[in-house]
Amino acid sequence: MRFVLRRAGFFLLTLWAAVTLNFFLPRMMPGNPAIAMMGKFRGKVGAQELQTLEQIFGADSKQSLPAQYVHYLGDIFTGNFGTSLFYYPSPVIDVVRGAIPWTLGLVGVTVILAFVLGTGIGIISAWRRGGLFDSLAPPLLVIASAIPYFWVGMMFILIFGLKLQWLPWSGGMNLTDSPAWTPSFIGDVVEHALLPGLALLITTIGTWTLTMRNNMVTTLADDYVRMARAKGLRPHRIMLNYAARNAILPNLTGFAMSLGFVVSGAILIEYVFNYPGVGYMLLQAVENEDYPLMQALFLLITVAVLVAILLADIATAIFDPRTRTSR
Amino acid sequence: MRRFLITGAAALLAAALAACSSSSSPSGSSGGGANAGSGPSGTLTISNEQGTEWNCSFNPFNPGNLGEGITMGQVYEPLAFVDTLENAKVTPWLATSWAWSDGNRTLTFTIRKGVKFNDGVPMTAADVAYTFNLIKKVPALDVNSVWSVLSSVTQSGDNVVMTFKAPSVPYFYYIADQVPIVPEHVWSKISNPVSYADSNPVATGAYIVKPCTPQNITYVANPDYWQPGEPKIAKVLYPAFTSNDPANTYLATGQAQWGSQFIPNIQAFYTSKSANNHYWFPPIANVSLIPNLTLPGLSNPLVRQAIAYAIDRNKVANIGEYGEEPAANQNDIDTPTFTSWMDSTDAAKYNYAYNPTKAKQLLTQAGYTLGSDGIYAKGGQKLSFSVINIGGYSDWVASMSVIQQELKAVGIGLTAQNLAQNDYLARLYAGNFQFAYYAQTGGPTPYYELRQWLYSANSAPIGKNASSNWERYNNPATDKLLDDYALTTDAATQHQIVDELQQVVLSDVPFIPITEEVGWFQYNTASFTGWPSPSDPYALPAAYAYPDMGQVLLHLSPK
Repeated sequence: MRFVLRRAGFFLLTLWAAVTLNFFLPRMMPGNPAIAMMGKFRGKVGAQELQTLEQIFGADSKQSLPAQYVHYLGDIFTGNFGTSLFYYPSPVIDVVRGAIPWTLGLVGVTVILAFVLGTGIGIISAWRRGGLFDSLAPPLLVIASAIPYFWVGMMFILIFGLKLQWLPWSGGMNLTDSPAWTPSFIGDVVEHALLPGLALLITTIGTWTLTMRNNMVTTLADDYVRMARAKGLRPHRIMLNYAARNAILPNLTGFAMSLGFVVSGAILIEYVFNYPGVGYMLLQAVENEDYPLMQALFLLITVAVLVAILLADIATAIFDPRTRTSR
Repeated sequence: MRRFLITGAAALLAAALAACSSSSSPSGSSGGGANAGSGPSGTLTISNEQGTEWNCSFNPFNPGNLGEGITMGQVYEPLAFVDTLENAKVTPWLATSWAWSDGNRTLTFTIRKGVKFNDGVPMTAADVAYTFNLIKKVPALDVNSVWSVLSSVTQSGDNVVMTFKAPSVPYFYYIADQVPIVPEHVWSKISNPVSYADSNPVATGAYIVKPCTPQNITYVANPDYWQPGEPKIAKVLYPAFTSNDPANTYLATGQAQWGSQFIPNIQAFYTSKSANNHYWFPPIANVSLIPNLTLPGLSNPLVRQAIAYAIDRNKVANIGEYGEEPAANQNDIDTPTFTSWMDSTDAAKYNYAYNPTKAKQLLTQAGYTLGSDGIYAKGGQKLSFSVINIGGYSDWVASMSVIQQELKAVGIGLTAQNLAQNDYLARLYAGNFQFAYYAQTGGPTPYYELRQWLYSANSAPIGKNASSNWERYNNPATDKLLDDYALTTDAATQHQIVDELQQVVLSDVPFIPITEEVGWFQYNTASFTGWPSPSDPYALPAAYAYPDMGQVLLHLSPK
């Protein structure tokens, strides 16, 4: 219990620091949102509209920085992130709510699949060390993980999207779809997610496989595994409950971190596949000095990562009793 | 469109696609398919990268929505259409006729009868008067500052009478072509029209938004549109593209029939894919090298003339812009768009063709001597400057390196500072630069661009934001010329004034036009006909041009 409380206290302190940084950093950037909007529409709207935009965005408001900070802290607790400037006049909460399901669906599912598959392959490779599977799967996956995932994505577009025309390669759904829980819409979304998802998957499995296999090889040589064999336990019980359970700890921490970062999206995949999501949105928010949107997204990422770390700590404590008592 | 931000990834994909050209036949499956019967048919898809998903706001007074070209023209309509590409030819739209009176101080519009908003309520002169008084009451809606010249707008039967503080002929363009007419019965109930999202616009246009998702806007033909037989296309899809490559590929594969963005190596990537793929890039403004006229050295017109002679504009256009933007001229007249306005007599007198010898001669004449470092100097003041540029615009960065080499060859030093866009614009507006590289928005005649560059009211002291006179040019005689143009509707007088303005640019060289900014336009003729073309330039052809997009959609028909 003391362990959990200590972790929670640390969590709150980090959260406050992150939230504060989140407030001050964007405001140190040059320019203002109105100027950024002008840049976006260069050649399309006249320069006199700068004043119009400054009025709309309140860029010329004279509230002092500390006052803005207090206001901001209050807003965070009430979940009020204001109006997005880039997507004006949509509320930030709606903008984020529109994008986050795509990211969770694509990147979230891919990260979980990559972890499960990668770890599984790692376990089997280590168990059958030197076998055919072990000499093929891990090296191939490691090579794949060294290729930039957007490049794999582009090759997929070329081969499966344009040459063979098997799968859609742009957007998250058919243009004329309207979102609804119907089988045809869900099927359509899954179809659109296949190419970007696969590109992410095959380039991320490798790291999990490699660490899992190597940890597993070490634990397999440990005395308690030899003991288990000597006791005559069934092989697969030894593999999973003795060797894998101990080998998985570093991977588990890594997995929690990855889950935390899921909400930051996959910018380049979104870019290459024109896929909706928060990654590119965050980039746009930064480029266009959309403070309210930026703050909401950074906050979301910070909280997700911190929560993930907290959960990883607790999970490690459950798997490995030694961490609980350490001073 | 944004300008092209070519990442390594983008270039790679483009090259790969160009290589495997034969396989993907432009099916055009989503387009065309004309029905035998009457009524609109076919689905047109637009591919124009905005770098963002749609916010599904169609408020026509929000510069953001206007800039995307999603609301003005096809959904909301103005009083008249002014064609930039046909010498500002005016076509009636929601007004049937108009007349200036009282020494060009009063403008009377006769409003069209029989027009209905898409909720069935008739559109009347009262709605027009309401719209103008709304943007008076809420200045944030007055995007083109028309109330800086207007003094009153009143309804009189089917007419709307506008009175002006002073004769303001050029403002006809902003008033008639750029102000969307909104329904009084809807907008009078809105508490804050500035932040009003307007996701289901009630308007008079040929298309109705139905539905909009962040990934796509679907426009369907308005069944009760006031022009009989229009529109002819049943459905228009406008997908959101966050990046250039998917948008370009969408065009190359024929999935979209109307494009409005830069395509690198367009022959290999687009036109070679199908005989139905075409493009046309009409020039609309000038990308210029902008000296800060308040600085020593740059305040000397001889130095600026020398720079104008020293730059081979054709070379910049060919290397920096892949030949897709033509070279500009020192008259600041876009050709061929505004060729009839060109003062060729004075152009010949100055003859600003590439001439490095003349450039050096002018610098010597101005009292500069060539230093041992190959840079001209006078009294310890070296002709060595920095230029700010937008680092993300790869074409402008390439253009600038050509300009640097050419200036170096005549003894003028130039170092490029490639900045992030926001940083760049903040410095441009505030005058915090030595040289800058940028373009104006222009207008339906060369007067608009010249006024943006030269009018002293568009300037501001260094440190304050100037709206368009970024070089800080100030000449009372030029201001007088610009004011005089506003007094007259007589074409001969207008031409004479624009001639004199060109002489100002030729002799004073307040800025140096380098390449002509174009409107990007690619189109596929497999399923649709009636596209704008050099022989029939009835509207600006880019999908982001407003209200021109509405005109293009009214001219198109399925094959």
